[in-house]
Amino acid sequence: MKINIVKVVFVAFGVMLVLMGVVAVIAVTTIRRSVATSDWVNHTHAVMLETAAILACLHAGEASLRNFILTTNKQDQTAYRGYFNEMREHLEVAKALTRQEPESRKRIMRIEELVGKRIDLAREVVRARELQDEDVARKRLQDDAGNILLAEINLVAKELADEQKELLRERDKASFLKAQATRWTVWSGLGLNILLLAFLGWMIRDDIAARRKAETALEEANLILEEKVQERTAELVKVNESLKKENLERQWSEQALDHQLRHSDLIINLIDEHLIIISKSINISRVNPAVVHTTGYDLPELVGNTMFKILDIPESSSGDATSALRFVQAVKEGREIQGRRGSLLCKNGSVIPVRFNMVPLRDQNTVVGSVLTVHLCHEIQQEKGGTRNLIHHFAE
Amino acid sequence: MKKHILSIDDEAEICGILQTVLTMEGYRVSIAGSAEDARRIVQSDPPDLIILDQQLEDTDGLTLAEEIRTTLPTMPILLLTGLIFTADVIHKISSNNVSSYLPKTSKLDTICNEVKRLLGDSDHHQ
Repeated sequence: MKINIVKVVFVAFGVMLVLMGVVAVIAVTTIRRSVATSDWVNHTHAVMLETAAILACLHAGEASLRNFILTTNKQDQTAYRGYFNEMREHLEVAKALTRQEPESRKRIMRIEELVGKRIDLAREVVRARELQDEDVARKRLQDDAGNILLAEINLVAKELADEQKELLRERDKASFLKAQATRWTVWSGLGLNILLLAFLGWMIRDDIAARRKAETALEEANLILEEKVQERTAELVKVNESLKKENLERQWSEQALDHQLRHSDLIINLIDEHLIIISKSINISRVNPAVVHTTGYDLPELVGNTMFKILDIPESSSGDATSALRFVQAVKEGREIQGRRGSLLCKNGSVIPVRFNMVPLRDQNTVVGSVLTVHLCHEIQQEKGGTRNLIHHFAE
Repeated sequence: MKKHILSIDDEAEICGILQTVLTMEGYRVSIAGSAEDARRIVQSDPPDLIILDQQLEDTDGLTLAEEIRTTLPTMPILLLTGLIFTADVIHKISSNNVSSYLPKTSKLDTICNEVKRLLGDSDHHQ
C-alpha cells in the first residue's frame, strides 16, 4: 500500500500539536496548584507563627505581671498590658486565619478561652495589689491556677502546631507527587514529540530516497527509450535507403528495358523485308512498316485480324489437303517453312507474288506463334478472286 | 575526399538514376549528356572513373573512350550499352580502351559493385 507522506506529516504534526496542548494545560494547571500550595504553606506558617506569638506574648505578659505584683512598677504594668493587648491581636489574627479550618479554629477558640481565664485571674491579682493587699496578691499568685491554665494553653498550642505541621507534611507530599507527575507528563510529552519528529524525519528521508530512486529509474528509462528511438530511427533510415534503392533499381530496369525495346523497334522498323508476326490462331500480332507500306492497310486494320487477309497461300499440286490447312498445322506444331510461294493482298485490290519463310516464335520452349519474312517477287501476278474465297474459308 | 565519377549518357533519366545511386554509395558524380560536355568535364575536373554509354548524340562510346585514353591512359572506363554484345566482342573492338563492359539491363547492384571493383574501393566492395 502506498503511503501518502504529506498526509502522514500533517497527521504527525497534528498529534504533536495536541500533545503540546495537553502538556501546556497540565503545566499551567500545575503552576496554579503550586501557587495555591505555596499560599497554603504560607498560611500554615502564619497560623503557627501567630500561635507562637500568642504564647510568647502570654509568657512575656505573665512575667511583667509578676514583676508588677512584686514591685508595683508602672513600667511593668504598662508592659504586661501591652503584651496582653498584643496577644489579643494575635488571637484575632489566628482566628481570622483559621476561619475556614474548623479543627484549628476550635483549638484557637480553646486557647482564647483559656487565655481569657488567665487574664481574668491576672485582673483579680492586680486588683488585690492595687488595694494594697500584697499578701493576698502573693497568695493568689502562689495559688495560681494559672500555671495549670498556662500548661493547658501550651498543650493546645502544641497540638495546633503539630496539627499544622502534619498538614504541612501531607500537603508537601501531595505537592511533591503532583510535581513529579507533572514532570513525568511534560517529559513524556516532550519525548513523544521528539519521537514523532524523528519518525517524520525518517519518513521524509525515506520518501526523498524513494523519489531520487524513481527519478534515477526514470532517467535510465529515458536513456533506454532514447537508445531504442535511435536504433529504430537507424533501422528506418536503413529501410528507407533500401526502399530508395529498390525504387531506383525498378526505375533503372524500366529505363533499360525501354531503351532496349526502342532500340529493337528501331532495328525492326528499318528492315526492308516484310515481317509478319502471327499467333497460333493465325492472327496478326505485329507487322513492320514495310508491310503497312506495301499492303496499304493501316496498322489497326491488320493487328488482330487473320493473316490470310494479306497473305494468300496457293494450293499445292498434291491436292489431299489445302496448303492453308497445312500451313496452320505447321504453325501449331512449331515447324519451319522455307521458300514457300504466296501472294500479298493489298488494300487497293492488287496482288503481289511473294516467297516467304516461317520460323516458330518460342517463349521459353513454348510455341506462341510464328514469324514470317516475306520477299516480293514482282514477276508473278495473280487475280484476287480465288484468294478472297480462301479468306472467307478461314474466317468461318 | 570523395572519389569523382563521370557518367556520360544522352538519356537524362539514366544519368539521374546513376547519379542518385552512386551518390548514396558515397561518390561525387558528374553527368554529361554528350561527348562535348564530357570532354569539358574531363579537362576541368578529371574524374576517377567514367561510366560511358555506347550510343551518344554526337559520337559513340568506343570512339570517345579512345579519345579519352590519349589524355587519361590509366583511368578506368566502364562501358554501358543496350546493344547486344558479348564481353569478348567488346574487348576485341575496344582495343583495351574500355576497362569493363556491362549491359544496360544489368542490376544497379552489379553496376555499383563493378564501379567499386574498378576503383579498388575495398570498403565498399563485397
